[in-house]
Amino acid sequence: MKKIYFALIIACTGLIFLAHTTRLTRGKYGLIVGTAQIKSISSLAFGPDGILFIGDSKSATIFAIDTKDGVANNQAAAIEIKNIDQKIASLLGTEAQNITIQDIAVNPISKAVYCAVQSGDGTPVLFKIEGEKIQAVDTKNIAFSSLALNNAPAEDAKDKRGNSMRVSAISDIGFADGKVLVSGLSGQEFNSTFRSIPFPFTNKQDQATLEIYHAAHGKYETLAPIKTFTTAEIGGRKYLVASYTCTPLVLFPLDDIKPGTHVKGRTVAEMGSGNQPIDMVTMKKGGESYLMMSNSSRPVFKVKYSSIEKYQGSLTTPVEESFATAGVDFVSLPVTNVVQMDKLDDTRMVLIQRRSNGSLDLWTSSERYL
Amino acid sequence: MEAWTFGLRVRDIYKKFVIGEIRLYIAYNLIFFFIPLAFSCRQSAEKKIRIRWNGEKADGIFIPKSLTGDVPADSIANIVSVQRSRNGQDNAILGNFSTDSDLILFEPLIPFTPGMQYKIFARKKPVGLIEIPMPDASGAPSVTSIFPSADTLPDNLLKVYIQFSKPMREGKSAENIALIKHNNDTVSGAFLDLQPELWNQDRTMLTLWLDPGRIKRDLQPNKLLGAPLRKNADYRLVISQNWQDEQGARLSKEYSKKFITKSRDSLSPDPELWKIRLPAPATNQPVAFQFNEPIDYSLLNECLSIRTSDGKSVSGRWEILNQERGCHFIPDDSWSSGHYLLFIETRLEDLAGNNINRLFDRDITVKAVNKSSDFTKIKFQIK
Repeated sequence: MKKIYFALIIACTGLIFLAHTTRLTRGKYGLIVGTAQIKSISSLAFGPDGILFIGDSKSATIFAIDTKDGVANNQAAAIEIKNIDQKIASLLGTEAQNITIQDIAVNPISKAVYCAVQSGDGTPVLFKIEGEKIQAVDTKNIAFSSLALNNAPAEDAKDKRGNSMRVSAISDIGFADGKVLVSGLSGQEFNSTFRSIPFPFTNKQDQATLEIYHAAHGKYETLAPIKTFTTAEIGGRKYLVASYTCTPLVLFPLDDIKPGTHVKGRTVAEMGSGNQPIDMVTMKKGGESYLMMSNSSRPVFKVKYSSIEKYQGSLTTPVEESFATAGVDFVSLPVTNVVQMDKLDDTRMVLIQRRSNGSLDLWTSSERYL
Repeated sequence: MEAWTFGLRVRDIYKKFVIGEIRLYIAYNLIFFFIPLAFSCRQSAEKKIRIRWNGEKADGIFIPKSLTGDVPADSIANIVSVQRSRNGQDNAILGNFSTDSDLILFEPLIPFTPGMQYKIFARKKPVGLIEIPMPDASGAPSVTSIFPSADTLPDNLLKVYIQFSKPMREGKSAENIALIKHNNDTVSGAFLDLQPELWNQDRTMLTLWLDPGRIKRDLQPNKLLGAPLRKNADYRLVISQNWQDEQGARLSKEYSKKFITKSRDSLSPDPELWKIRLPAPATNQPVAFQFNEPIDYSLLNECLSIRTSDGKSVSGRWEILNQERGCHFIPDDSWSSGHYLLFIETRLEDLAGNNINRLFDRDITVKAVNKSSDFTKIKFQIK
């Protein structure tokens, strides 16, 4: 009998202790210290104060983790790691063929590169790369919060449009104006949901869900899933710059992204056939800003936002014009087979490129590419 | 000459042995042989490094402390390391150590790779070697179904689903799937190489899109390359045996699906045209629905439900039949006489991606009835 009392006392003490620590650790942005149950990492993006957003396709969840990597580095050195896949595979005790690099994101404060890797069996691992040092980021004892994308809408929800679409894959995530932007693809319907989720996450399902249509030549209208996107200011207005799986480059004013709206992107260029957009970043040099876009079977494209702005003048009547091959002027950089890309600072990018000799190298582009 | 041993004549010893006086003592003395033997067996059991299995994944190894010597809990990672066993310099594998009184557990960040050997070091000296066995060939993954099941498909087919018996490696569809036309031409760029790929949650079903940019009329890829499928042609979808499952085991064989193409499907599915076969009341007979065209397999599994006339959901199970041209619903409880509704979510699509409300690529110069409801219903009466 004494034993039972003893066990009860221990259990109660444990519970009190546990409850106490949970309350203590709820920190800035509503993060709680614990184990982030991340099942896969498809996309990475940095938010404020070293908060890293992780798009987990397998559980259709967005995680926000505190990297505690907030020491400013204004003089970031160029990073170069040859055969990065082999080096990471070696750290994981396997060979390069058994791992995939899913995404990279540069912490805009510390300039450290975060790299998501998936092993053949699906286990995700997050690495932090500083100079030549590659180290794993522990997600077991970390301040984090999460938001599930496939929560069923309330039965009495007035507008259920689009919410019923289940996300099977998160194609890209970003952060702008205090909101996490998420493009999700369905394994069933040829459609995408684009959600603009206020951060810190709340329990309210006030995510904006867009219906995105693509109109070719003002004649045929189809739903168009977003593959990758970035945000930029054009002519004093903030825009979402996106590319569909079917390659057109399109613009949406960020103000227009409201729940339940039917939004048509305005096509500014078609980037060719048999090609998939991979990553997009916005860069600046002098007074000029540029959109850089990497592609599955094309070189990296460079587009001046000023030419998009000029071009926009003729786009006041949306979807009526033909932009097939015309579109905005873009320059092809002599860089092909870029599989991952993010911006290091305004003028330099970190790229992972499959070289012609077959090696997969991480390197930093210099200003001259702009 | 007389031989002497232990102060006795050998002849006398032999005599005593024969009459059984000594035999017992010899038997007793065997205990001194068995004790060290048993002790050495125990020693060898404790020296063995064991693999921890989580299903088919080798996600940890137990290292006996008898191999490493005493290791303080807070400095295991400085003293013990696990490395891949191969020529040349290698680094310690990243992972977590934990310990109890006899064993050290090492959990690598990703499971150990089947077929590879790993060396265990303690104080920079090798103390053990383990090999992770390759998966059993009898457990090779297989393709269980390819949807759509029909062998005649519209030339604007949008999706193909491949169902596997086990969770597969992601990101490998482009190198393992081919579409062959007229038995000899490989159709390049037929499928959208989407990263991340569209898998179900347990990674057993993959959705493949035929390149929508080529299907969408008037888009640049469509104009330059044309649609991936042409009318009245025969095709073979081939799935390479080299596709590996999560554990690295290859498919049991090459799989393929033959089909021929007919003209494009430019009409939305119309539930008004579906035929219903009604069950008798007070039975559990299925209510059967026959469609006027094949319907998307995956959506069919989700978009239909049966309700009573006052809106209550009827519990039961759906079965998809006749190459996705029909389905039936078997209720858990017997049917009552009365009115029922088949609820259909309007996102239900045919094989060309046309849903109940809109076509996959709608000609906006042609006026269409604007449908926006999330559901459509079909009434039926059981009497």
